[in-house]
Amino acid sequence: MHIKQFQEFAKDKLGVFGVVLLLLLLMTAILAPIIAPHDPWDYSAQHLQPPSKEHLLGTNDCGYDLFSELLWALRTSIAFGISVAAITCTIGVVLGVSAALIGGMYDMIVMRIADALLAIPTIMVLILIAAYFKPSTTVLVITLSLVMWQTVARGVRAQTLSLKTKLHVKAARNMGAPTIYIMRRHIMPELFPLYAMGFVTKARTAVFMEAGLSFLGIFDPSTKSLGIMMSYAMRYPHFDIWFNWLLPPVFALSLLIISLGLISYAVEGIFDPRLRRNNVTPI
Amino acid sequence: MRNITVKMVTAYLLTILLLIFLNFLLQRLLPGDAIIAMYSGHEVVMTDELYAELVSRHGLDLPLHEQFLTYLSELAHGDLGYSYICHASTADLIMDALPWTLLLMGTAFLLSAVVGIVLGVESSWRRGRRFDRSLLAFMLLLDGFHSLVIGIIALAIFCWHFGWFPSSGAMTSYLSTGGIGHIRDVIWHLVLPLATLTLSMIPGDYLLIRNSMMLTIREPYVLTARAKGIRERRIKYLHAARNAILPFTTRIGVRLAHLITGMIFIETIFAYPGLGLLTYNAISNRDLPLMQGILTVSVILVLLINIVVDLLYQKIDLRVGYAY
Repeated sequence: MHIKQFQEFAKDKLGVFGVVLLLLLLMTAILAPIIAPHDPWDYSAQHLQPPSKEHLLGTNDCGYDLFSELLWALRTSIAFGISVAAITCTIGVVLGVSAALIGGMYDMIVMRIADALLAIPTIMVLILIAAYFKPSTTVLVITLSLVMWQTVARGVRAQTLSLKTKLHVKAARNMGAPTIYIMRRHIMPELFPLYAMGFVTKARTAVFMEAGLSFLGIFDPSTKSLGIMMSYAMRYPHFDIWFNWLLPPVFALSLLIISLGLISYAVEGIFDPRLRRNNVTPI
Repeated sequence: MRNITVKMVTAYLLTILLLIFLNFLLQRLLPGDAIIAMYSGHEVVMTDELYAELVSRHGLDLPLHEQFLTYLSELAHGDLGYSYICHASTADLIMDALPWTLLLMGTAFLLSAVVGIVLGVESSWRRGRRFDRSLLAFMLLLDGFHSLVIGIIALAIFCWHFGWFPSSGAMTSYLSTGGIGHIRDVIWHLVLPLATLTLSMIPGDYLLIRNSMMLTIREPYVLTARAKGIRERRIKYLHAARNAILPFTTRIGVRLAHLITGMIFIETIFAYPGLGLLTYNAISNRDLPLMQGILTVSVILVLLINIVVDLLYQKIDLRVGYAY
């Protein structure tokens, strides 16, 4: 795949918008300890205050500063998304490439497990495991990665299989290059689009899952999370708190998912040559 | 052809067995003591004799493989366990919730498929023009809203602010209007959860169909149809869209997983008494047997639907049969 990827990407306005949005959110999350005016675990403020200069979004029922809480929750979401995406892609690439190169029984077993994972509603399994073991966030990250790798592995395997038969790989093999060298030099770099795609889509799913699972009450309630903020705010429908307590996390979560969605759509458009925008004659 | 079917069905059966085994194993891996967990809420004085008696009554002194066989045979008889928190059989609780969930999910699935397909076809037909570009941008935006988010916004506007729709339940209890009034009541409760779930599913269907149409439009038979002077609407839906829907059918299984995820959140938000709310309540009460029952039922349901889809797909697309 020899496309000028970055130039191609820069042409996609929606994709560029997504990247800018994501960078802004990333900056906010990284700088959260500096930007946040209060300690998000400090509950000494007055309860349920409306927004003011002191508390930009007011305070919640326990006296936490909502603005600081929001920043830290965003941090949790992004960290969760990045770590799940990284682990998932690593598992997917390793299993996919090895399945394609080794083949045989090993290939069959890996692919059958992938099939089974595709058919099982992930969220139910996660809920069950979370309920049984009350896992820490780290364990949950790993569990989520363990049930999400199948699409990456599938794509990587298919691509590797087709690369294996390409002339340059055959040439390298005939000249006696070891398998590891062929993998590193010829196969891994060519798979780059698949990592990029996989990373962004998996990060998006992970952010989605983190918010949902914490909303359902699976995470430790002391972590700052967008889902937990929403579920607490939902408990007070009779107070007029929805604009300063409920909407901000809703808004932040949507921005994050939208930015990742726009990027993944743009990347897909570049790497799937059949969908490339410029080589089609309009009807 | 028959060969593939057999292979496929065995694969699915293996998945189910694996899952049941996981379910069984999780219980045994749990730290703590099952007997203590079951009876700690009750006013019983746990003597050593009583403890031993309970262990043997629940069959916990048998070797593991015998326990697994008992578990399997009970499962085959439709016994999914007993919820010690609701004091009811898990199967009964699930059977009460299942019809509501099927109503909600089935309708949402059909509605989102129809809307997604029509919009996707129209959009790809006008590729690159204003209609296509704005619809695409809108769908990408909509795709960015978590089903939680759509649900919360709908709840805040239509239930809390305007009070047009009920914020919980699937029907009014003790309603005395009879027949049509009852149906109207059920629909009134269904509107918001259904609209939310459908909205959260549409972008996925739309994007899938739009991409697949882009490829179909360039097929020679579309050109042929055009050359023959067939009317545009006919070419669009009867020639192109009919083939563009094929990838949609293969992805029904994946869409189903999305649907279930959305269903759990949306039923929780609108307190709609289906499997999703049951799951939420099971989580809040740490009702493990109930959770396991729900997992087993939902996985079996998903796999059954997948089997049906796979079988249908071989009938729809004959190339699949030859490909093996």
